Amino acid sequence: MAFIKGYLIPRLIQYILVIFLGLTAVFIIPRLTPTDPVNRTIAQLRSMGSYLDPASMNAFIDDLNELYGLKGSPLEQYGAFWKRLFRGDFGVSFFQFPTPVNQLIKTALPWTLGMLLMTTIIAWIFGNIIGGLAGYFSRSKWSRVIDFITMIIRPIPYYIFAFALLILLAYIIPIFPVSGGTDIGRQFALSLSYLLDVLRHAFLPALSLVLIGSAVWFQTMKLVVQNVNAEDFVQYAKFGGLRDRRIASKYVIRNAMLPQITSLALSLGQIFSGALITEIVYSYPGLGMLLYNAIITGDYNLIMGITALSIVGITTAILLLDLLYPLFDPRVRFV
Amino acid sequence: MRKSMLFMMSVLVVLSLILGACGTATPITVIETVEVVKEGKTVIETVEVIKTVEVSVEVTATPIPREEAPLVLGTFPREQTLILGELTGRVGTPSNFNEWVGWKSRDRGMQQLANEPLWSIDFATGEIIPGLASGDPIYNADFTQVTIPLRQGVAWSDGEPFTSADVVYTVETLIAKEGFNAHNFMADNVAKVSALDDSTVVFDLKQANSRFHTTFLDRWGCTWIMPKHIFETIEDPITFEFNPFVGTGPYKLNSYDPNGFWTAWEKRADWDKSPTGILYGEPKPQYIVYQAFANEGAKILAQLTHQLDEVDLSAEGLKAALAQGKSIRAYQAGYPWVVNNDPALTGLTFNTATPPYDNVDVRWALLLAIDIAEYEGQAVDGAGTLSPVHIPSLGAYPKDYIAPMETWLSDFTLDLGNGETFKPYDTDAPQRIVEYAKGRGYVVSDNPAAQDQAFGLGWYKYSPETAEKLLVKNGFSKNADGQWLLPDKSVWRIEVLSRTDTSHLSFKNAAAAVQQWKQFGIDAVQVPSDNSSELAYVGDFDVSGEWPAQEPWGAGADLYRVLDFYNSAYIESLGSITTGHTSRWSSSEMDAVIQQLRETDPSNTEEVIAKGIEGLKILVQQMPGIPTFGYIGFVTYDETYWTNWPTAENPYSQPYVHWGPFKYTTPFLETVGG
Repeated sequence: MAFIKGYLIPRLIQYILVIFLGLTAVFIIPRLTPTDPVNRTIAQLRSMGSYLDPASMNAFIDDLNELYGLKGSPLEQYGAFWKRLFRGDFGVSFFQFPTPVNQLIKTALPWTLGMLLMTTIIAWIFGNIIGGLAGYFSRSKWSRVIDFITMIIRPIPYYIFAFALLILLAYIIPIFPVSGGTDIGRQFALSLSYLLDVLRHAFLPALSLVLIGSAVWFQTMKLVVQNVNAEDFVQYAKFGGLRDRRIASKYVIRNAMLPQITSLALSLGQIFSGALITEIVYSYPGLGMLLYNAIITGDYNLIMGITALSIVGITTAILLLDLLYPLFDPRVRFV
Repeated sequence: MRKSMLFMMSVLVVLSLILGACGTATPITVIETVEVVKEGKTVIETVEVIKTVEVSVEVTATPIPREEAPLVLGTFPREQTLILGELTGRVGTPSNFNEWVGWKSRDRGMQQLANEPLWSIDFATGEIIPGLASGDPIYNADFTQVTIPLRQGVAWSDGEPFTSADVVYTVETLIAKEGFNAHNFMADNVAKVSALDDSTVVFDLKQANSRFHTTFLDRWGCTWIMPKHIFETIEDPITFEFNPFVGTGPYKLNSYDPNGFWTAWEKRADWDKSPTGILYGEPKPQYIVYQAFANEGAKILAQLTHQLDEVDLSAEGLKAALAQGKSIRAYQAGYPWVVNNDPALTGLTFNTATPPYDNVDVRWALLLAIDIAEYEGQAVDGAGTLSPVHIPSLGAYPKDYIAPMETWLSDFTLDLGNGETFKPYDTDAPQRIVEYAKGRGYVVSDNPAAQDQAFGLGWYKYSPETAEKLLVKNGFSKNADGQWLLPDKSVWRIEVLSRTDTSHLSFKNAAAAVQQWKQFGIDAVQVPSDNSSELAYVGDFDVSGEWPAQEPWGAGADLYRVLDFYNSAYIESLGSITTGHTSRWSSSEMDAVIQQLRETDPSNTEEVIAKGIEGLKILVQQMPGIPTFGYIGFVTYDETYWTNWPTAENPYSQPYVHWGPFKYTTPFLETVGG
């Protein structure tokens, strides 16, 4: 009971407040940018070769303001925004009018979630296990070799690294497709062939993310382990004659995992922003390009839809982490 | 900014693919007479063309051994499938084909394959091709009524016959509902639309409009006709997705990627009931796929692995693809390789609503501070065709306009003050580009006609000393460091707005201008922006790399489309989106020319040209934007599976797969297997 009153309820209030303020900021900030969605739409139509009769342009601008729901005062628009939000509706995308924002997110989200959830977790597990062992056995030859490899991989700009993989495995050794989430002509189906096709297309982007991500986790974990390794309690365990494996797993890595768990939670919360560069290099579907295009075109509703997901994702991840932390670190108590 | 950084990195990667393209060039340029297949199957005529062979890039029509290429692409049999790059990229609204509302990526195949307009423009042949119309529009004497004859025997892709009722329904629906792109135009212009019979439609106009029919003339878009039998069953045609798409073109929708990366079209069984089939015969590819790529490197890799038959690239990408792909060719077989007959003119636009660019002397001074040979060399390696006026030097325009204006251009005089004058026109300017090209190791024809066609008839002198006199006349001065100062003695800084895509000609023109003006002593900087189009339309710029004039039709002599954008009625205050040209320039003289053109029958070529020349003279005198060179298309074709593309040697049709008339090319493509 004391936990609920003293910690959980205030923490939940804080959680809701952060989301409210975050969404309010998301409503305000795009409207402060110099990009006007109506002007942008007209500029797009004209730059795409559409001949819009100049004499009819002002009336067309009025029509667009009406269609986009931009005619009322900012306060009225803000009220309408919350009304729609409580119905789970972000309205229509301006730039992809009249497609509902929910539909755009629904189409892109599974690709981003599938790709980033898997690669983030695989890279985290892989990088931390190898990094932990390499940190503990830092003088071994294999540890130094892996360290050397990660030192080469990590500074390579991700774009170049991902593109090099594409050239290597889609052109020089053409075993993976050049682009896309599925084959041309392939339609969604609950079948093994569809699943295999999706996995084949996901392999290269996933490999690039796992390799780069693992290198990052490896290096941070190795450094943390090396620091923990120098702590008194570890030295004491060594002097006490405990076996290396036990010291490594129970004393060193378990302690070193704590900051890594925090980082993992934040990384998982951030995946709703998508992986823009991965999507560009591999022409892979996802939220990254959707958000990027929404920002540069002033597509307020779409920006709000995607960032709302991200805000809820990150705040929820932090909330869950706070609540679950005692499981990882017995020193933490709520009461 | 992030996008531009990504693009720069992309260019670096693409450059790494070029390698082999950097060898010593020993190209040969020849003039030869070839047979050209033009409209229809039987019309054959002989034309003179330029054929250039660049030896350093191994371009060959010999396809690579077939077994190296995949037999199936995705789920389509490769030999029956044509794979094309989608110019405008990934489709944002993949399930929505309602092209009457907003932007629906109609270059995903809607305008090129599945739809037929009333008329299309083919800029390569200069022809206006009647599609759903069976002939020219017929106006009454005062241009308040127009009758359009429609083609008989046409059917929609779902089998329903196309009739005048579809046209009437389309226009009435557009008028009735706000939210359609063409709603206001139709509401402002059409008093009544009616069908005389199944194949004749009559428009009664609210006021005289001698160009009303051009709303149905496809020049990368137009007002398309709706299938009445589908739309009349829909409650809200604005939000209607129109999926599956039903059109009158020779192809119908097969499938599309819900993520917007590809759209696949399939040849109609009744292709002979499309205008394309009626006019030109059976299209050859069974399937045509438009595919988008998020980066240029992937486009090149796809083409090198024979998964992409045609694509638009950057200048660097084109060289990389030609260097690496033995079965890949460009529009021209040798230097300058590119498509240089696109009916668009590139250059620079001044914001004439902002000082000092509201001063014509300043605008002319900035023009004379440009060494066009150096400028074009930097921008496009000398590949563009110069134009001294505000239309491109291609097709019939040099003959109709530029050549007849040359005497006037040569006599045109600038007043430098103190009784001094200067004649800026320079017929030798193209020669300076020729010398540049030769200096780069390219062999250029010595045939004057070929040089005129490739490099233009003339431009303006490089005369920094004259530019200086014009500026001094207007109170400008230089400081001790040789830097130009405004009349108020502050440093003159010019921000040149451009797009962020380094391969876009807006970026290239802006970069070249900045270089030239820096050399002249002006503190010029380039400002690339993802939002450049909007900034230009609201007037938030000094100078921009946006086109210096609205693009002309590309066929016919009429320049109303170009000149009407300078109509003073369209000028808006800074901060509001302009409805005319982004230079925000206008004049009563130009208004008069526009009015005269409105009252002139567009088919009266002689009169139209006379008025057009008057308008072009005013633009040269006022120079609201600097015309530099025509638009350049960097197109590559992989001939592993499909050949007989429209090329410089055989320009039987316009060469782009993203333009509407591409549908009329499909019957002439040939499979390598026969």
